[in-house]
Order: sequence, then C-alpha cells, then structure tokens
Amino acid sequence: MMKKIALPIALILLGLILTGLSFVNYNTGSPDDIDISIEKSAFIMPAAHRVYSNPEALDGKYYLFKAKITNNSSETLQDVRVKYRIPNYIDWTELTVSGEMFPGQTLVVPCYPKFDDNVTEKTTESVEKTEIEISWNGAEDDDIIEEDFSFRFTNRNEYVYTGIKSEEISSWADMYDNDALIACFVTPNDPVVKYYTQNLQEKLLKGEAASVSRKTEDAARFLSGIYEATRRSHMVYSGTKGIPKSTDDVQSIVQQVRLPREVITGNTGLCIELSVLYASVLSAAGIDPVIFMVPGHAYPGFRMNGQYYAIEATGIGGEGLGNIMSAEEAFKQGQKQLQEFFQRAQAGDPRYTLVDIHQVNAQGVTSMDLKDNDFMREKVDDIVASWSTEQQARPNNGGNNTIIVPENRIRTSNSLSFAIPNGWQTMMNPMPQMPIMTAQVVAPDQATTVSVYDIPVSNLQQGMNSINQYFSNFGLQMQYQINGNTVSGQTYSSNGNFNWIGKALKTQNGIRIVAVGAPDHLYSKNSSIINQIYNSIR
Amino acid sequence: MKILIIPIYILLFSLNGIAQTQQKIEMRIDSVGDAELNMSMTMNAQQWQIWNSNYGNNPSALKRDIERSMPAYFLDDFELNKDDMNRSFNLKLNAYGVCEINKRGKWIIDTEQKKAQLTKLTEHKYMFVSSPPEFGGNIQQTFIIELPVDAKNITIEKDAFGKSVFEFDMSPPSSGFNVMRYAGILIFLVGGAWSGRLIFKT
Repeated sequence: MMKKIALPIALILLGLILTGLSFVNYNTGSPDDIDISIEKSAFIMPAAHRVYSNPEALDGKYYLFKAKITNNSSETLQDVRVKYRIPNYIDWTELTVSGEMFPGQTLVVPCYPKFDDNVTEKTTESVEKTEIEISWNGAEDDDIIEEDFSFRFTNRNEYVYTGIKSEEISSWADMYDNDALIACFVTPNDPVVKYYTQNLQEKLLKGEAASVSRKTEDAARFLSGIYEATRRSHMVYSGTKGIPKSTDDVQSIVQQVRLPREVITGNTGLCIELSVLYASVLSAAGIDPVIFMVPGHAYPGFRMNGQYYAIEATGIGGEGLGNIMSAEEAFKQGQKQLQEFFQRAQAGDPRYTLVDIHQVNAQGVTSMDLKDNDFMREKVDDIVASWSTEQQARPNNGGNNTIIVPENRIRTSNSLSFAIPNGWQTMMNPMPQMPIMTAQVVAPDQATTVSVYDIPVSNLQQGMNSINQYFSNFGLQMQYQINGNTVSGQTYSSNGNFNWIGKALKTQNGIRIVAVGAPDHLYSKNSSIINQIYNSIR
Repeated sequence: MKILIIPIYILLFSLNGIAQTQQKIEMRIDSVGDAELNMSMTMNAQQWQIWNSNYGNNPSALKRDIERSMPAYFLDDFELNKDDMNRSFNLKLNAYGVCEINKRGKWIIDTEQKKAQLTKLTEHKYMFVSSPPEFGGNIQQTFIIELPVDAKNITIEKDAFGKSVFEFDMSPPSSGFNVMRYAGILIFLVGGAWSGRLIFKT
C-alpha cells in the first residue's frame, strides 16, 4: 500500500514546492532584462551652457542626452537610479530616482547638464565622454548598467549652425537650426560691453534716452552712434574661421565667433560678430535688438513700437578694403536690405529669418557669463580716446550722425495717406474681386492690417454700404459706427472677429476710407501700433 | 508630459484676419505609464491648403516636427488619417514613459499648465483648455486626459513651479499566466486525486 501511494504523495509534494516557489521573488532583474536606448547631442557649445542646463529653454530642445529605459523583466524594480558624469567637468550627478519600475514600464530620462560658469573660458575644442550608470535596489555590482558615449565639446567661440543629423536635413532651416543660440553670444551683461556702452552714451552721443522715450528716432540715433563709434575707432571688417565639422551623425559648419568684447578690443569683426556686438550694446542700453539673417550675411537692427530698423554694420569696411560708408549711408543700406528681407520672408523664403534677442532670451536662451577684465577696460579707454580725434557728435538736429527715419508713406494724388511702419508689406489691389480695395498693408505678424478703399460714392454711409455688399459676397458681416469722418466697427466671419478703426475723406472720385485693425484676440496687444497708424492717417 | 502643439503655419492676408484654430488632443495613459495620443483638427479651406502643402502631403515632415516639438520624449507608432472631404485629420502616436513613479511610490503626470482649469469628466477622465501664448492666442487646444482604470486615489497637486500635477496610486499590472504556479496546483491536484482514489479503494 505504502509503495503504491508513494508516487501520488511525491506528486502532491512536487505540486506544493512548485506553487510555493512561484511566490518567491528570487529575481531582482538583470542587465539583460533592461533595454536602454540613448539619443545624444553631437556638439555642446560652452557659450550655450545655460541653455543646455535649462529643461524649459526652447521647450527642452537642447539636452546632452535622453535615455529610454524599459524594464523587460517580470519583476518590479525598486528605486531605479540614473546618474551620469562628464569626467573633468561634471561629477556623478543623479538624474532621477523612480520609486518603482513595473514590468513593461518605460522610463524616459532627459539630461540637462549644469556646467560650471568657467566653462566659458574654454578656448580649445575637445572630445569628451559621458558616462551613465543605472542601478536599482538589490542590484549586484555585476547588474549595474554602464553606458557611455562621446561628444564634441567646442571652444567658447565656436558656433555650430545645426545639431540635426545629416540624414534628416531637408531644408535651409534645418541647416541653420541653431539660429536662436546666437543670442548666447550677445553679452549685454559683460562688464567690458557695459563699459563700452556707457562711454558711447556719455562721450560720443553726449546723452541718449531711447529706452525711456521709446521714440524710434532716438533709437535710430543710438544705432547710428554704435556705427559711428566703430567707424571712428577705425574698426575693420575681417573674416574668421568657419569650417565644416562632423561627428558620426551630424555635419555642420562651425563658425568662430569673436565675442563682443573681443570685437571691441580687437577692433575688427565679421558680419555676424558685428551684429552680435550691436545687439549686445543695444540690449545694454535697453533697446530690443534684432539680428537679421540672410543667405551669406547677417546685419543688426532693433524693434521698437512694432517696427523694425536695421543698419549695415559692415559698412565700416576698412582702409584696406576701401568704401567706408557714413552712418547715414549704412542706415540707408540697412533699411533697403530690411525692405527686401520682409518681402522675401513674407513670400515664404525660409532663408530670411530674424533672431529677436530679447524674445529668445525670454525662452531661456540667455547670454554667457564673462568676468571683468582690466586689460580690456584699458583697451576700451584707448578706443574711446580715438573717438574724440574726429568731429564730436552733434545733437539730433542734422549733421553726420543724424539718421532721418524714413517716413514711408503711401502717397497718392488724393488725400488720406498714412505712415507705414517698417517691415510691413504693401499690396496694391490685393483682391481683384474687390476693385474698391486700393491697397492693403500687412504687419509682419500677418494679423494687423491696414486697408485702403476708394469708393465712387458721395458720402461715407454709402461707402460703408458698398463695402458691406462686397463683404457679404465673401460670407462676412460688418457692424460699424460713423462719427463725423471717423468710423469704427467689427467684421464677423466663421473665422472670428476683426476689430478696426478708420477715417474717411471725400476725394475727386468719391470717398477714400483707410481702416486699421486686428483680430479681436490680438487687438489689445497691438493697440499701440494700431493707434499710431490711425493717428498718422491724414 | 509636455503640451503637444501641432505646428501649423498660417499666412492669412484676408480681411477677416487670422482664424482661431481648434485642436483636440486626447491622451490615454496605460497601466505602465505610456500614453496613446490622438490629435484631431478641422480647418477652413485656406488653412487646409497650407497645412496640406506643409504636412498633409508629407507626413514624415509632420512626424519630424512633432518629435522636435517634444524633444524630451520618445515618440513612436505615428499614424495619420486625413479626411479631405471635411478638411480634418487625426494623428495617432505613442509616447513612452509619460508617467513615472516618484520616490514616494506615487504615479505622477505633469500637465505643464499653471492654474489649469481641470474639469472632471468621469472618474478617470479630465479635461482642460489651453491657448498657448507663443501662438498669439490663435490656437485653442482642448486636452482630455484619461488615466488608467486601475488608478486610485487620484489627486491634482501643484509642483514647485505652481503647475498642476496628477498623482495617483496604481498596482503593478498582473504578470499574466504563471506557468510554475498553475503547473504546481495541477500536479498537486493530480497527486491528491490519485492518492485519494487509492485510499478509498483499499
């Protein structure tokens, strides 16, 4: 009997053992069960170290690496830790601790490295290694996962045009994907640049208040003052190294950009370097600087009251190059280029882009830190002394450094013209289906619009009726109020409301109406420029 | 989870200015913290024409731009469905590791929104509306976040920056059929039945 029952009892025992073992957590995960995939940056620019350290900057676009870690084991891992280091630059730093990591769960860990401020003193390029370590509770030394990769760490002057993999580049914009990072080279807080700006304001311009008055004339005078300062110190145009470099995945032109302090003290600069110098000085003076990027060239300017102005900073040329422009000529040339810039940009040419320095600053692209330097201050003193050897700057009432801000009016033989802000695009007879619309002027934001109507009727009421009829053909409805020769109202459509104000005047052939407005959600924001245009209608 | 914005470049010169565009983004979180995203949008004729020339006829450009707009995430399984007749599209994709478990063992998901006006639709479904300032108020996004059915004790907290964060508890997903356990039980039952039969027989 015992012999017969031995086998079934053995089965019972085996069943109990197997069932019991199935509850024992003997597996704490092994490196083979953890999948890791890493995406890394090919280049790191010391000038942009504050951007790399900020997960909010440009929506977190600039990271050192991001790791995707998937737990493919059947066990929950406890306290999963991810840390990294860059030998000689950053010690072991914990990126994240995940309390638990379930079977099948993925952990995505982006790394925004915080370099020391003195990284901006790095003057040579190097190839550095990043080491990553992933561990969890109960992991033996053999289980800890170690990964590493190398990247190119440029010197502080190097500006890499793109970080996009060469196989993914499909457009001009891709090749210049790092445009916003040029703002890192704009250094208004550099003590040397501040000192130069103060001297410019005091000794050359004998006072300026553009940031307080917010008058474009004052800002244009300051812009020309920078040009005058560079011209008087005999600053010259000169090239620097810009060569293609590549890593495994990324190919890019890497341009040496002399910092504004180096341009001032070295008394020479390339177009992008001069643009960065102007932007730094403008920013230090409280004016919103803009750098206009066009194929093969860059030039500086500013934005004020919704309008853009520019100057051709390389007009200084140099005695060896000949053709040194006066400040007025450089400003005229800049304005001419600006007109072409907006025409091309509004036509959709992706090669024409601008970097609004304060706007990208607000997105986390901030300037590099630079320490004060007595030797450079002395150099600035020498440069300032050279300014006085030429004619002193005169007040803004005419003279060499006086810039006449172009009035840029739509002029017709009829009355009612108005000042078109710089950078706005004018289209004559934009809608053939609506012959009463003589012209339309559109702001760079593509929303704020001035419309000019010439209607062969005898009074404003009839004119508005006529416009209303045309509008109804386009599915638009209009509500307005007439008060003397002024009219204001709203245009409704399925796409939203458009608020506007305008003036009317009788002409030989009927009524001319000029109206300026914006979509209702933008009207308050743009009210300053709208009122400015409205007040200029006469 | 960062807010997803479908990049559309609208250049309208018409009298009625720029149309305000609506996007609907549904995010369904699964039991391991990954998210399935469904984005849909209907446009007017002009916007549809521009969108098609930029993305509609070149879905790989759409994929690339979305990946670039969410650089900190790993995205996968893109699927674009266009409805040309109604000028609308639906884009589906997966985002890995959207939710994670913090040091206190709580699952967390960040809305990236300060003072998000969250509306509770069901026990596990929440909605909020956003109008990203970088698009000048031209894009209105309606987000619907669906948390896993196993999520318990759902609370909405604020992080150090005042942004709304979902916190909840969730058990590990079932490890499925455990061969060792069920084989053990089966062998135990067979052994028990066999020995019982022998005992009763005698």
